[in-house]
Amino acid sequence: MSQADVVWRRRQRRETRHLLVSVLPGALWIFIFLVLPSAYLMSVAFMTNGGFGQPQMPLTLDAFRNLAGFGFLGWSPGNLYTLWRSIFQSVISLALVVLVAYPVAWYISLCRPRLRAIMLLAVVVPSWTNQVIRAFGWMNLLSPGTPLSSLAEKMGLIAPNMGLFPSDFAVTLGLVYNFLPFMVLPLYAAFEKLDHAQIEAARDLYASPLRTFFVAVLPQTLPGLLAGSVLVAIPAFGMYVIPELLGGGRSQMLGNLVASQFGEAANWPLGAAGALLMLLATLMGLFILRRMGRRLGGGTEMVI
Amino acid sequence: MQNRGFKKGLAVFWWLTLIFLYAPLLVVMVFSFNAINTSARWGGFSLRWYERLLNNDVVISAIGHTLLLAVISSIIAVILGAMIGYGLYRHRARRLGLLIVLIYLPIVMPDIVFGIADMAFFVQINRLTGLLSPGLSTMVIAHVTFQIPFVALIVYSRFVGLDATLFDAAKDLYASPWQRMLHFILPTLKPALLSAFFLSFTLSVDDFVISFFTAGPESATLPIYIWGAIRRGISPEINAIATLMIASVALVAVVSLLFNRRRA
Repeated sequence: MSQADVVWRRRQRRETRHLLVSVLPGALWIFIFLVLPSAYLMSVAFMTNGGFGQPQMPLTLDAFRNLAGFGFLGWSPGNLYTLWRSIFQSVISLALVVLVAYPVAWYISLCRPRLRAIMLLAVVVPSWTNQVIRAFGWMNLLSPGTPLSSLAEKMGLIAPNMGLFPSDFAVTLGLVYNFLPFMVLPLYAAFEKLDHAQIEAARDLYASPLRTFFVAVLPQTLPGLLAGSVLVAIPAFGMYVIPELLGGGRSQMLGNLVASQFGEAANWPLGAAGALLMLLATLMGLFILRRMGRRLGGGTEMVI
Repeated sequence: MQNRGFKKGLAVFWWLTLIFLYAPLLVVMVFSFNAINTSARWGGFSLRWYERLLNNDVVISAIGHTLLLAVISSIIAVILGAMIGYGLYRHRARRLGLLIVLIYLPIVMPDIVFGIADMAFFVQINRLTGLLSPGLSTMVIAHVTFQIPFVALIVYSRFVGLDATLFDAAKDLYASPWQRMLHFILPTLKPALLSAFFLSFTLSVDDFVISFFTAGPESATLPIYIWGAIRRGISPEINAIATLMIASVALVAVVSLLFNRRRA
């Protein structure tokens, strides 16, 4: 072994020690207080409910059968409705968020550069407020007797004295409100790089505005749209606060089902099975994002 | 699309969206000064809900818990996160894929799963060892866990933005590792550390779900108090607390913006 080899090795060892010392404390923290607890929670999903909500041996798949609606008293569709509502609400709110975010992101990208930073900030600032307070604001705006509710009543959209809240509609609105910035930011990043010559070319060739959008704008902003979709749909699927406050008990989503199993309903394995489902959805979203990002290129510069 | 009408239409839509974004917050703020006990009607200006807040011991202690939790957790997170950020940068040539997955995990994890996993874990640890009974300590642990990644990413991107030859320059001038740390790394990192601290602080104050599931009976923070108050029935007192929280977030935002501008 030559002198240089020894020096190189010693240096390598020192570098490894440096890496461990700098990274290990934080990494261990996340491992002990997030990875281990999640692993424990996942294992609870395969245990038996011990009566007071405490998980027990033996290992079974009861929790998943429970989640699918099979209980003591035979099958009931309650949980499946909740699941369906989670999927439905996240898809609907995603669609509405896209409809609102496209014009907003486009407009911001057309303004003067100095103005753009302020406009983006204006979109993001409301989401710095606690989400309980934001949901509470909507409760104030939508409850029976408020101008918006009276208007909806006069137009015959809702039954008298019911108010727009609590309802499925209020939950959808709350989700759109909550997740709009998550779509505007990545879409704006895409619009900023938009090649306007393509739009002009489409118009020169007498494409209709709609056709121009689908041929010249959509393909160019697709990476932003996909990133935004994952950032909106996945968290919306597991939303807890908004259905709880704005849905008023009748519009439960998966997050509420899970939370109630760890509280008053006291069935930890069932709750853990629901949590496992949410984690799988998250992993699926991330996987899609990575695949798409690779195919479209540039998907790695995601906005968090 | 240079079409004039098109841009005007977009402008109208933009202002409508702004109204949509700020209406719920404004309603809360305006009705916190309402003289009567409803959010449906305006009954004149009054400060009675704010007076009531000052005499509410539960609210005062909730404010204390919120601030204490945010400060302690942010300090721990800034230290641990900055170390990770530095480690990631210095060893960026190595394959650190698994580490990066670990760091992104708290960000991508649904917060309800995060909160419940920690709650279930803490309950079991407590049953086996008697340690970690739910309270401020469990909340600090959970908050640090979701703050670390943001700190690490901010610090890392600050390092990436630096001229890498600066490190060699420091070495060429025979600076010892400690001197490098004291005279080069920490000073250049100061703005990043401060903004990481502010971000961690806001994340902590903003969090409800994870706090809710890791809190103990004696450690309710403001968001948890507001949640309980809403469930008991809407009172304009909540408007007043919420207004204070909105105002303080706006203040922090303005301060950090001014700070950023000065740096730029």
